Amino acid sequence: MPAADEGAGVGNFWNYLEHLTAKSSRDAEQRSLLNEITIGETYFFRSQQQIDAVSKIILPKLVSLPAKQGVKKIRIWSAGCSTGEEPYTMSILMMEQLVQKHSGWTFEILATDLNDNSVAKCREGLYNEYAVRNLSPQMRDKYFKPEAALHRVKDEVRANVKFDRVNLQDQSKILFMKGFDIIFCCNVLIYFDGASKKRIVEHFYSGLLPGGYFFLGNSESLFGINDQFRLLHFPSAIAYWKPAPGEEPGGAK
Amino acid sequence: MNAATQSILAKKVNELNNLPAMPSVLSSLAECLSQNASQVDVGRVVELISYDKSLAMQCLRVANSALFRRRNGVETVRQAVLALGLSRIRDLVYSCSLPKLFFGLKHGMPPVTFWRHAMGTALISQHFAKQLSVENYEKLYLAGLLHDIGILVNSLLFPEEFHKALVLAQTSEIPLWEAEQQVLGFTHCESGRVLADFWKLSPEIAEVIEFHHQPALASSAAEMTAVVYLADLLCRLRGLGYGYYEARQFDLVAEPSWQVLAKTHPAVADLDLVRFTFELEEFALEVEGLVDSILGASSKN
Repeated sequence: MPAADEGAGVGNFWNYLEHLTAKSSRDAEQRSLLNEITIGETYFFRSQQQIDAVSKIILPKLVSLPAKQGVKKIRIWSAGCSTGEEPYTMSILMMEQLVQKHSGWTFEILATDLNDNSVAKCREGLYNEYAVRNLSPQMRDKYFKPEAALHRVKDEVRANVKFDRVNLQDQSKILFMKGFDIIFCCNVLIYFDGASKKRIVEHFYSGLLPGGYFFLGNSESLFGINDQFRLLHFPSAIAYWKPAPGEEPGGAK
Repeated sequence: MNAATQSILAKKVNELNNLPAMPSVLSSLAECLSQNASQVDVGRVVELISYDKSLAMQCLRVANSALFRRRNGVETVRQAVLALGLSRIRDLVYSCSLPKLFFGLKHGMPPVTFWRHAMGTALISQHFAKQLSVENYEKLYLAGLLHDIGILVNSLLFPEEFHKALVLAQTSEIPLWEAEQQVLGFTHCESGRVLADFWKLSPEIAEVIEFHHQPALASSAAEMTAVVYLADLLCRLRGLGYGYYEARQFDLVAEPSWQVLAKTHPAVADLDLVRFTFELEEFALEVEGLVDSILGASSKN
């Protein structure tokens, strides 16, 4: 049983279950339980193969899409962003690979998580040595300020990242989350049953712009969950692609 | 291959008179196995392999490795031939004897990289074909093993140009054959075909070698070429490539080769491609071990 029940002072499992399901305390207690069980450990620039796919292959394709020439902006959604390493990694990547290389382009990152504690941690932007272990001293200098033994992300890394608490099951909320070029939802769907997975993935599909990309965690797949997306292979990475009229995702030789 | 390329290549090959002869054990073995299965002289096959002691040792080691192993280990060449069967033994002898032939090339791809890709493609071609219930799927091993043999021809006969092509491919993150086309004016598909004809490899294998980057042009071995084409791609995508990043994305299901296979093999539609891809990752480690053991032995002999 999670530590949440200690906070609630309910003693045994059955009391806790009742506490969890009784109408008066249900919402606060369920939220507290979710906070306990959904927290994860991660670090910056964790999935190098996904990062390479984005910077070497996907970004050059997106910036050349005819539909994007009006408003030159890349929008990314990190769904289930945990403690913020993933969206801040993307922010650093976009600063280096988009803004510096393609004049006039900007980006916006939406980072959401179900867990209040995680979202608070994201907003704080303060990380320990473990979180920055993949970063060179130059990268640390450039994008972090040392704070005692910790590392705080600089304001320019935060500037284009928005955080929000979002429950992916909350249809009324995610219905309006649209217009993304890339969505990451890594190691999150494992928490949902089959029907919920299908519904959430459908929302991701409609939330993406045509020609947009959807990334799952390294060992996840949409097999049996969704057949609207097209599966794309990248070097040591996999992503799903929302077809765009007149565009082919590129063939092999 | 167009006539001009063919004549440039043929001229160059004649001038240099440098194409390696097929290892004698392979030509003798081919002759031996060309009989009807019931007439093949098993004793003669055992004798051929045992003649070269180091080859025999290597064959035994590989026969006992994780990728080839049957339930019981084998201790003699005769046991290996009987346990693995003639077609598997031929695959094994090819795998062990070819790397020696090209050892010590200075300007080419590192041999470890090349043979990992070759054996990875061989195993994945065969595994893939088996999953799809392709008839005679065991033929795919050899086709996969030999598909890139032209890379060795190019590094042997045109070392400087090939080196330039390799550097171009690495720095531009493009497929090697495109870089070869730019630098040499032809690719390893064409030079591989020249070697295949010189060695009198089967017409099917020769076709796979020539068309594995343009599978739509294959005719008599269209299905084999499609399988090798996809296995080659998967290897390049999952850590058994040429050792550099190819900045490309692929929709394998939309590939004409996939469609060719889907028409005749309904199993294609049910394949969980993501899971299949993850499985290959486990393959990769075993392939690395296998190649290290073969090359480690070759460099000492």
